[in-house]
Amino acid sequence: MMMSDTQEAITAKADWSFRAEEVTKTYGDVVANDAISIEVHPGEVYGLLGPNGAGKTTFVKQVIGLLKPTSGSINLGPYDLVEDPDVARQLCSYLPQAQMPIESFKMHEAVHITGLIRGGSSNEVRARGDDLIEALDLTEWRDTLGHKLSGGVRRLVGYIMTTVWPGKVVILDEPTNDVDPRRRRLLWDQIRLLGSQGSAVFLVTHNVLEAEKAVDRLAIINEGRLIAQGTPSSLKAGDRGRLRLQLMLVPGNGIPELPPAVHHHARVGNNLMMVIDETDAAAGISWAQQMMTAGIAEEYALGAATLEDVYIRLTGHTSEDDA
Amino acid sequence: MTVANAAALPAKRAGVGHWMSSYRAMLRWQLTDMRLLLPMTVLVQLLSGVGLVIGFGLLIPEMTQRLALYLSTGAVVVSLVIVGVIMGPQLIAQQKASGSYDFMWSLPVPRSSASAAWVTLNASIAIPGMLGALVAAILRYDVAFDVTLMVVPAVGLTLLTGTLLGYALAHGIPKPDITQLISQLLIFVIFGFSPVSYPIENLPGWLATVNEYLPFYPMANVVRDSLTDGIATNVGRSYLVLSIWAVLASVISAAVLRRRK
Repeated sequence: MMMSDTQEAITAKADWSFRAEEVTKTYGDVVANDAISIEVHPGEVYGLLGPNGAGKTTFVKQVIGLLKPTSGSINLGPYDLVEDPDVARQLCSYLPQAQMPIESFKMHEAVHITGLIRGGSSNEVRARGDDLIEALDLTEWRDTLGHKLSGGVRRLVGYIMTTVWPGKVVILDEPTNDVDPRRRRLLWDQIRLLGSQGSAVFLVTHNVLEAEKAVDRLAIINEGRLIAQGTPSSLKAGDRGRLRLQLMLVPGNGIPELPPAVHHHARVGNNLMMVIDETDAAAGISWAQQMMTAGIAEEYALGAATLEDVYIRLTGHTSEDDA
Repeated sequence: MTVANAAALPAKRAGVGHWMSSYRAMLRWQLTDMRLLLPMTVLVQLLSGVGLVIGFGLLIPEMTQRLALYLSTGAVVVSLVIVGVIMGPQLIAQQKASGSYDFMWSLPVPRSSASAAWVTLNASIAIPGMLGALVAAILRYDVAFDVTLMVVPAVGLTLLTGTLLGYALAHGIPKPDITQLISQLLIFVIFGFSPVSYPIENLPGWLATVNEYLPFYPMANVVRDSLTDGIATNVGRSYLVLSIWAVLASVISAAVLRRRK
């Protein structure tokens, strides 16, 4: 497992880490989490990727004490988070997937009161809250009631409420849902910053392409099991020497017969993604051109394999299946 | 890259100071959350308290002083209980349906401080209704109340028990619609088969005995005792039964809130 230099520096300084061991959660015969073990260090942004229903949210709800593992342990430094959910709630902050209930709150009130609830002092919470509102470019809605805010803006307010007085572990469940592309970038910057300020960040997402840029390490979870773990580059190592061939199909067409060079493929809408070897690039291009001549495809693109391709290979899903 | 505070984890927060600041912050959250609804809710409570008193009068043309005392003190108790048993579970059902419930229960406050803030919020909605019923009774029937200091424990215990019963129902039953059904049923029991607005002697013996052990008759009896002179009997026993219900409701609420699926 690779670790960057800064990562090593942080780990060396801190005397705590988040450690989940063999966490299993069953509901009758259904295994929602199957012996998941994860260790996260202070300052690290750790991605949990997987299709809907894979068990990501179930896992983080056990960290924050909303659910109790059937077996296994979750520790933060010396604290046993399963035994003591009170301390779990004090040391972890949680942005759930659902929108925050802030219809009756002005933006700055929602941020301020949550900061107080999280144990911050009034002045510090106000100052940090206003900094975050500005950093995410939300100042024009600072005094607006929640029920008048758009879904994307409310999502960002939820992020600020969660991190205005952050826990040592910050859990973000799909933080970028509904957020516009420009503010998405601002949000990723803030999430990176949160890590550099010493929190361990859990990022639950199915947006693989964005996660690739933001996380230090990640785990891919599928059907309750952790099926891969590592840095984005270490996970992509299996696809080294491979390329992604993308074909935009003319609407109404099925998946055409694929050349033998294709290792695996996935279709989202009219977008057909295939992974081929670098040495097959020329053959791939000429096949794609044939598809265009035959009127089956409108355009094609050839590029480096991404984490998305790893994800498709491991889960059999594309990340957009779940969007 | 600065790594502020990364080296150490803070100690667990606990104690009276933590509880009080959590209570204040949660009350502030809940009052702000109700901001758009609060004026209307208080008004509806006030009007329903007044309406109960005046409505009974239309039913009974020959109102005696004793009857008026029964009806108006009954209206007071209904005002106090209905908020905790009906409105509380409705608000919590809404939170469950919208998904914001998880956020509320992931906040780092002692569960008991959040519950105490909830009882305070319910009291602030219920008490105007109670006062409305009293004032309407005085104006309409010229009723002479004899208010003693016992009104504080009587109203306090009634509010606490009613609110926490609704609270335990709302949190304990996973399906919000079943909670709503049960709270409707409770109102039916309170209005129809509990001697809240009429003397317990009017009920058949067995039903009177059942009511001695349910919380609603004791609520009415202790509140009636604190507001009138001489029409409430066996008040000590009612305080005892009601206190047991208050403790029971608190214990059940605490257990339900601590439970993790």
